[in-house]
Amino acid sequence: MNLNENYLDTEIPKKQLKPNKNGDYEGVAIVAPTSEPTTSVNMDETFFTKAPLAVTLTGDHSMSRSVSLNSLSTAYRTSTRTPSQARKPLARSKLLSADLTGSNDSIAQPTATLKRHSDPYFNWENDIRSRLAESIYSMETSVRGSEIQRRPYVSNEIPNVFKLSKLSDSSKPKDSQASYDKNFLIFTSAGKPIYCMHGKDEQIMSYTGLINTIISYFQVNGPSELKTISTYASGKRLTFLDKSPILLMAQSERGESSNELLNQLDFLYSYILSSLSERQLLRLFSKRENFDLRNYLETTDFENLNEICSLICNRMFPDLLLNSLQCLPFRHSSRVKLQNVILQQLDKRQDIPRGTLLYGLIIAPQNKLCCVLRPKGHTLHTTDLHLLFCLISHQFQNLDETQELWVPICFPKFNSSGFLYCYIKFLPNSAHNNEKSALVLISAQKDAFFSLKSFSDELITKLEGERLLKKINSAKGFKLSDIPAPMVHHFIYKSKQNVQYVMPHFEVNSNITLDSSQRLEYELKLKTYYQQLHGTVVRDNGNLLSRSILNFVKWSSKDNEDQTIDDPRMNFSELDEYVIGNSSFEQESVNMLGIAWVTPKFELYLIGNNGVVDKKVLLRSARKVANWCQKNESRLFISDGAVF
Amino acid sequence: MLQFKLVLLGDSSVGKSSIVHRFVKDTFDELRESTIGAAFLSQSITIHPNDGNEANPKDVVIKFEIWDTAGQERYKSLAPMYYRNANAALVVYDITQEDSLQKARNWVDELKNKVGDDDLVIYLLGNKVDICQETPVVETSPESNEAGNDEQKVRAISTEEAGQYAQDQGLLFREVSAKTGEGIKEIFQDIGEKLYDLKKDEFLSKQNRQINGANNGQVDIHLQRPSTNDPTSCCS
Repeated sequence: MNLNENYLDTEIPKKQLKPNKNGDYEGVAIVAPTSEPTTSVNMDETFFTKAPLAVTLTGDHSMSRSVSLNSLSTAYRTSTRTPSQARKPLARSKLLSADLTGSNDSIAQPTATLKRHSDPYFNWENDIRSRLAESIYSMETSVRGSEIQRRPYVSNEIPNVFKLSKLSDSSKPKDSQASYDKNFLIFTSAGKPIYCMHGKDEQIMSYTGLINTIISYFQVNGPSELKTISTYASGKRLTFLDKSPILLMAQSERGESSNELLNQLDFLYSYILSSLSERQLLRLFSKRENFDLRNYLETTDFENLNEICSLICNRMFPDLLLNSLQCLPFRHSSRVKLQNVILQQLDKRQDIPRGTLLYGLIIAPQNKLCCVLRPKGHTLHTTDLHLLFCLISHQFQNLDETQELWVPICFPKFNSSGFLYCYIKFLPNSAHNNEKSALVLISAQKDAFFSLKSFSDELITKLEGERLLKKINSAKGFKLSDIPAPMVHHFIYKSKQNVQYVMPHFEVNSNITLDSSQRLEYELKLKTYYQQLHGTVVRDNGNLLSRSILNFVKWSSKDNEDQTIDDPRMNFSELDEYVIGNSSFEQESVNMLGIAWVTPKFELYLIGNNGVVDKKVLLRSARKVANWCQKNESRLFISDGAVF
Repeated sequence: MLQFKLVLLGDSSVGKSSIVHRFVKDTFDELRESTIGAAFLSQSITIHPNDGNEANPKDVVIKFEIWDTAGQERYKSLAPMYYRNANAALVVYDITQEDSLQKARNWVDELKNKVGDDDLVIYLLGNKVDICQETPVVETSPESNEAGNDEQKVRAISTEEAGQYAQDQGLLFREVSAKTGEGIKEIFQDIGEKLYDLKKDEFLSKQNRQINGANNGQVDIHLQRPSTNDPTSCCS
């Protein structure tokens, strides 16, 4: 973090340790004065990096508890307490407020100042730090009408302002359709079920009959086909995609637009095509309209559909939303060298004619595109690549580098009626065995395997010789703290020209490793923020509202008044506000501010830390992020790839 | 070094990939995912040819290039490209699945019709003997069978039935278990020896020619059926 930033002095009003509007928690440590950016990721870096806390927060009790609370959760709710419960907190309130002031000072003052006062300051700081370390565990706070909760004081978690997800709600019996806030159904036009994300056969059978009737009614009587049924009261939405002989339906209570849901359905349909090809699908149904496609699909298909659905519903997977690919940040000179090596190798192989090798890809773990080899004037559609990436990350991940695969895949946007053949080999990686990059060579000829195999063997030897393989394996993404943009929790930057996006690593707290369910919860939360941010800049049909947009979106507890700023320099400015409904207990006041910034060159979606309410501050950070991304564009994005 | 191409065929989930992995890596994965398309692997073995002609028999290294194909019906149209240049085909069935032997018979028929080459070694394999109550009769040691005896699955195809069929068709036959590893090594040893017998004249004559022709005594012959997939040939 850049300590020379003096944003705090000018932009943030002096900290006020005032009681909540309810005024009923006097004597309680105001752990997170929410108007203050004390919970920032960047602050954490400053405060903790020099001497890590003696006690690590790893997987600790308090975290998991607060997650299991599963509510508008965050690590430090300011909650109502009876005096007896407040005993312990009272004792620490002084410490805490002192600490928070201290940490603010340490940010606000340039490093030089710190050094001048070094001795007394650091002693004091060390003392605070060690006592804080204790307090992270021992502080007891409680939620009205609930059991005692232990929560850490310092966290940079973002609160969840959205309706409870059913994801982690395992206590409820999951037997009816209604118990899920999101579901996907695929069935035939004749009403036979093909796939259902949640629910058993018997349950969806009657459901599909009903849906078919409704859809047919609109086909016969309606002026146009039925796309969406929305109930405004409950916020439920049913969206249909008619790809006769297959019908797809999405059911969601998550506030997605029907266009988003249609995109998701189209992705599921694309998967089915990738497995069968449109020609085969039509052929199967041309013989018999009531053909049961289930018998034709394989276990792997259902597994993959499950995987894709969970990716769409529960994971941080902005690829579909932004219709772009995630790219592996890679040093520009290395990327150029990599492309040159690939092209040189291809040049040596004059026996591989055009058509034998259509495309080549190197895909880093977590579906990040590392390198593209493509013929001039041709690119692969992002949907096709998403499908390929899903297959590789899910289906083949437990293979190792001794195997080579030859897999027919139909790329629906490339040619929905034929198959392409993919040579897939995982690149050797000595460091992390579970994280492997894959080399994919795509051909139109089904017997091209041995040509591509020998090309791949030569290429891999060459890459190893040039030490490029090592560079690919050790390529790291970037962290938010690499960018001098304070007050930012997370962002996604999409380069429009390259149809690629980048985002920093998730780092909730460097001291906390999330277990898988916590991580899922965090991803879902983040996903919802981005989905709503993105929703403010697109029309119903999915197109951007305008070429240049700057939107601030504020999520706040309902008793917070909203503030509007109008920046006359911007083309378009509006403020959306999402208000949380009644909750059963009081929680930390939420003041989340997000930015959706669209220009002809890029799209930036950015979420500030909780409590950062000053739009100018956040906008300044957003500018820094955008500048940083533009400055590092050649490192972050693949502009052309290796073109032959 | 000799190089031979193998292909595994058979119904889905009979354990083709498990057999290959037991052979190549000596591992077994209970939750193996279905193969999509086909996987290409290689592994070398050493055989000790035991022919009386040679005064000083040498060990021969054989490298197998193995096509592990998907058993799923959908990929059936791709199968010819895998078995077309194969030296040996392993046709696998599951001894607990009645109809998997019928699928295996279909494969054998297809191989005989399409390949029509006497040099193609076909090996019929009954997999999953570990989960059966019965002790397999032929060539397997009864001791190694006791681990899986608690399983309730019963044998659906008797050793005699499959053995008789194999004999009629002139196939090599063995019952194995990829899970315990029982019989797996032997398969490849058998195939190696059989193929060596079939090809040894060709091999030896080439070897002699090589030794006579070249100054160094290095032998590096890729002895295989003429391959249209050979990247160095123009007609691929």
